[in-house]
Amino acid sequence: MDSAVSAPADGTGTIPETPLLDRKRNIAGYRINKMAMALSDQRNREAFKANEEAFLDSYGLTAEEKAAVKSRDWREMVRLGGNLFFILKISAVDPVPITQIGAAQAGMDHTEFLTERLGKKLNG
Amino acid sequence: MAKIIGGLGTSHVPSIGVALDRGLRDTPDWKPFFDGYVPAQQWMRDRRPDVAVVIFNDHGNAFFLDKVPTLAVGCASSYRPIDEGWGPRDVPVFEGAEDFSWHFVDTLVENHFDPLVCREIDVDHGMQVPMELFFGRPEAWPVKVVPVFVNTIQYPIPTPQRMWQLGKVLRAAIESWPTDERFVIMGTGGLSHQLQGSRAGFINRDADQAWIEEIGNDPQKYREMMREDYIRTFGSEGAELIMWLVMRGAMDERVETVHKHYYAPASTTGAGMVVLENRG
Repeated sequence: MDSAVSAPADGTGTIPETPLLDRKRNIAGYRINKMAMALSDQRNREAFKANEEAFLDSYGLTAEEKAAVKSRDWREMVRLGGNLFFILKISAVDPVPITQIGAAQAGMDHTEFLTERLGKKLNG
Repeated sequence: MAKIIGGLGTSHVPSIGVALDRGLRDTPDWKPFFDGYVPAQQWMRDRRPDVAVVIFNDHGNAFFLDKVPTLAVGCASSYRPIDEGWGPRDVPVFEGAEDFSWHFVDTLVENHFDPLVCREIDVDHGMQVPMELFFGRPEAWPVKVVPVFVNTIQYPIPTPQRMWQLGKVLRAAIESWPTDERFVIMGTGGLSHQLQGSRAGFINRDADQAWIEEIGNDPQKYREMMREDYIRTFGSEGAELIMWLVMRGAMDERVETVHKHYYAPASTTGAGMVVLENRG
């Protein structure tokens, strides 16, 4: 029998270190994800660049959520319920490689992430 | 009646499209990955399908979290490539196999599947990248398409068994379609990767290689794995692999794996493909 999968955001779920977009995280992250989704539209990307604070306010982000977005703290955005597929659009406005976003979540520096997690051979 | 001439499985990593856009195909990071698809592209040229049914997940591009269909089928005459945030890509518009799409929807509902029917919808890298990997970047795509969207992002995602059953119904729809069109079915996503949480960067090369070896001739255990097993084994985003089961479920019990390829990492992902042909 198959059973439902659920892993809480705090990492105490059945699959360690794996924040799935379940009900709890969906509700918690809705504002951040909705704001980030809007960045698919060129006009919104321009509004975000012109006045990030006002843009975030227009989506009702809390102070904690705004701080995470403004500091590009990927780990914190995910902790607050941000889902990678949405918050990735912030990195399109303000370019950061996805491997660096991965490294930030893993708590590793970029080179360590590339070699130890992804198994890349550098300078080879 | 129409005929299934091949089942294809492939990764759909967005960085593959970016690499093509930036002319990085022959750089050391990418060449071994793209070279592995050359025999599959030749197979496609030789076999000349008319229609490609592409099973993929939208990645927060066509659908937001306000409405998330577990299963959606495109029933449009054309599909535009979507702007995911980096600006529009120079990829041709996809012509839809609109009449077959409606027939597929009829067949689904008769068989107790209830899809969202999409008359207008854009398609993201989940569909663009598989098409580019198998057909290159032509001025116009040589096949019509049927996009099939499966939710693999918001929980609950559908079960592996359900994906297999969806494949059976897809086969019934093709085999009752009164044309002599030749169909390929693309199951896309994976292989192992995880983009979120402190396990980000997780890749499981052994499990990926076993999947590529076994999905053709020994798929039973992958049907029986729970969703949780997929996440553990292939990472949270690697659970996309359940969509290959739609393709595999649509094929004969016996198949031959005529082409296969694996390379890691493509960006942060174990990446690869198979080409399967029916053998009865």
